[in-house]
Amino acid sequence: MANLETQQVDEVIVNSRRKMLALGGAALAGIAFAGVKLAEGQSAPAYTDADILNFALNLEYLEAQFYSLATSGTTIDNLGSGIGPGTNKFDGAAVITKPGGPSACVVPWTLPAIQAYATETASEERHHVNFLRANLGSAAVAQPTLDLYNSFNTLAGVAGIASTFDPFANDLDFLVGAYIFEDVGVTAYSGAAPLITTPAYLAAAAGILGVEAYHAGLIRTSIFIADPDGKAGLQGYTQQISATRMKLDGSSTVDDIGVGFQTVSVEPANTTNGAATIVDAQTGSPNYSKTYSRSTTQVLQIVTGSVNIPAAGAKYMGVFFPNGLNGLFS
Amino acid sequence: MPVDGTGITRFSRWERYVVDKKLIELIDKAMSRRSFMARSGAAAAVAVVAGCGGSSTPAPTPAPTPTPTPAPVVLGDSDYLNFALNLEYLEAEFYLRAATGSGLSATDTGNATTTVTVPSTTMIPGLTTAQQNYLFEIAQNELDHVRFLRSALASDAVTRPDIDLMNSFNAAASAAGIGSSFNPFGSYEAFLVGAFVFEDVGVTAYHGAAGLLSNTATGKTYLAAAASILAVEAYHAAEIRTLLIADSVATATKTSTLVTPNPTYVTYANQISKLRATLGGGAETALTALPPYAIPFVSTAYMPASSIVACDPTNSIAYARSTDEVLHIVYAAPPGAGVKGGGFFPNGMTGNISVTAS
Repeated sequence: MANLETQQVDEVIVNSRRKMLALGGAALAGIAFAGVKLAEGQSAPAYTDADILNFALNLEYLEAQFYSLATSGTTIDNLGSGIGPGTNKFDGAAVITKPGGPSACVVPWTLPAIQAYATETASEERHHVNFLRANLGSAAVAQPTLDLYNSFNTLAGVAGIASTFDPFANDLDFLVGAYIFEDVGVTAYSGAAPLITTPAYLAAAAGILGVEAYHAGLIRTSIFIADPDGKAGLQGYTQQISATRMKLDGSSTVDDIGVGFQTVSVEPANTTNGAATIVDAQTGSPNYSKTYSRSTTQVLQIVTGSVNIPAAGAKYMGVFFPNGLNGLFS
Repeated sequence: MPVDGTGITRFSRWERYVVDKKLIELIDKAMSRRSFMARSGAAAAVAVVAGCGGSSTPAPTPAPTPTPTPAPVVLGDSDYLNFALNLEYLEAEFYLRAATGSGLSATDTGNATTTVTVPSTTMIPGLTTAQQNYLFEIAQNELDHVRFLRSALASDAVTRPDIDLMNSFNAAASAAGIGSSFNPFGSYEAFLVGAFVFEDVGVTAYHGAAGLLSNTATGKTYLAAAASILAVEAYHAAEIRTLLIADSVATATKTSTLVTPNPTYVTYANQISKLRATLGGGAETALTALPPYAIPFVSTAYMPASSIVACDPTNSIAYARSTDEVLHIVYAAPPGAGVKGGGFFPNGMTGNISVTAS
């Protein structure tokens, strides 16, 4: 992958902004991660911090809507968050929900702890939307059309879980639905953060990355608690989803690890023990328990379910973003 | 000063952080890029002064000569990585000993001759398989972080300092109002509280340090690594906080109509959180204990939010701490300059960031 990105970066250097747009984030991430150094004077990027924050805003719209529908049965514009272009609170695109509309999306919770977690997460994701919009001001992109109904059916089919999947059906299905987003958020912020130039925004991105990792840890721990030996099937679902995410983003290495078990060797040397996989990171050499990053293009491929690079000027479209994302990275 | 429902002061860390960053930028412009001193740079300056200080008798000099001004230590990327390495030594020793009874091997400490003070038995007794699975994963992660940082720093890596995982916890428990003694290796629940002491601090420390790394190729490489380790620490922190809440449900008092979660260890954790806030500049979010609930459970009558994530309550951005604030927490020392050690590091951290500046 590094070689491909290196080639793409080379093209970017000699080509125009249009080319940069076509290649998208993979090329940009190549700059940060493939070890490619641009010569002085060639380093002016064809994107701004606002473009990166807007990319994040698209993802936060998606997460905030999912959690808010599950807990409040309404969309975030009814909960004080803006979704329109710039400072316009309204005029965002629609959210496609299950038949019955937003109110039918409230999960019939049976586990109070899970309801409390979902309520907290919904609030925090709305805060992220509000924070990014406030900092972007007139540059904020509107919410694009979001699909939180057909998307889950499609992904469940692709992952081999079932032909239909309703993450709002019950506590445990909600956890599986949330699992689809959370680790992706971590890897997306991890990939985007080094592209940011303004120190204050970089600090904010690192802080949101931290919160997304808390959410991911929360969801994965809750799944492990609900299915500690894998017999309930939840662990298997997460592993199928992780495999699907890797298939979509074209990872050449196994970096996305579902909730389950691994064998570790700690101390004394040469003894092995069973361990959980709460953290989405490979242990031992050579990765040493560090999370991984995804380029903006890899994230686009996952959230739109499309692996093919669209024609120049066209967007990645499908699954959660049937009409694509808004903004430069789309 | 905003106070939440738990009575714990919640500072707007984000605002303070932005201001700090702006100041650093201004200083950076005024001085050359390589010579600016970040907030914690002052700590290093103090370290130099302390190291050259008056405890040793100066050799008699035949004629008065100007006192040589020590060159200020300019903190670089390796100093921040070594600061992180000290924290990883601490976490690795804690989790490894809890999991296996043995700590870091000599190789992983840089063949340090220092000691780790622990109770006679540290392997947690009576764990279920699932609990062991949690423990071994975190132990492996922290061991990996030690190995990664030592490898990245190569010959610049500092050796493991003296670490105290016994008297430190007793003192912390006393200061937090939990009791006169506390053994984090005594039971699963005690272990969770012990782990709680470290995990959120790791997140804030990496978040703070990330902003201090240089704008060089090496600094950028380290930044990517620091962000990745920050994320792992946040996974751990969420895991520990989630397990504390889950345990309060698992050990709840139940009648035919009411479940009352056991608040004991959540309360301990929150007392620790309050102590950390006092020592380390706020930057804390207390856990919300799950309130009693009726059975059969009626979800429409029950809409409280948990607080698994430690973040500022307005923007939901994880907190950052300066190296100085982290030092005060791990040294168990209230604000003030010149603290060289204590708490978990009885003789201080190794490296250039080891003495508090304020």
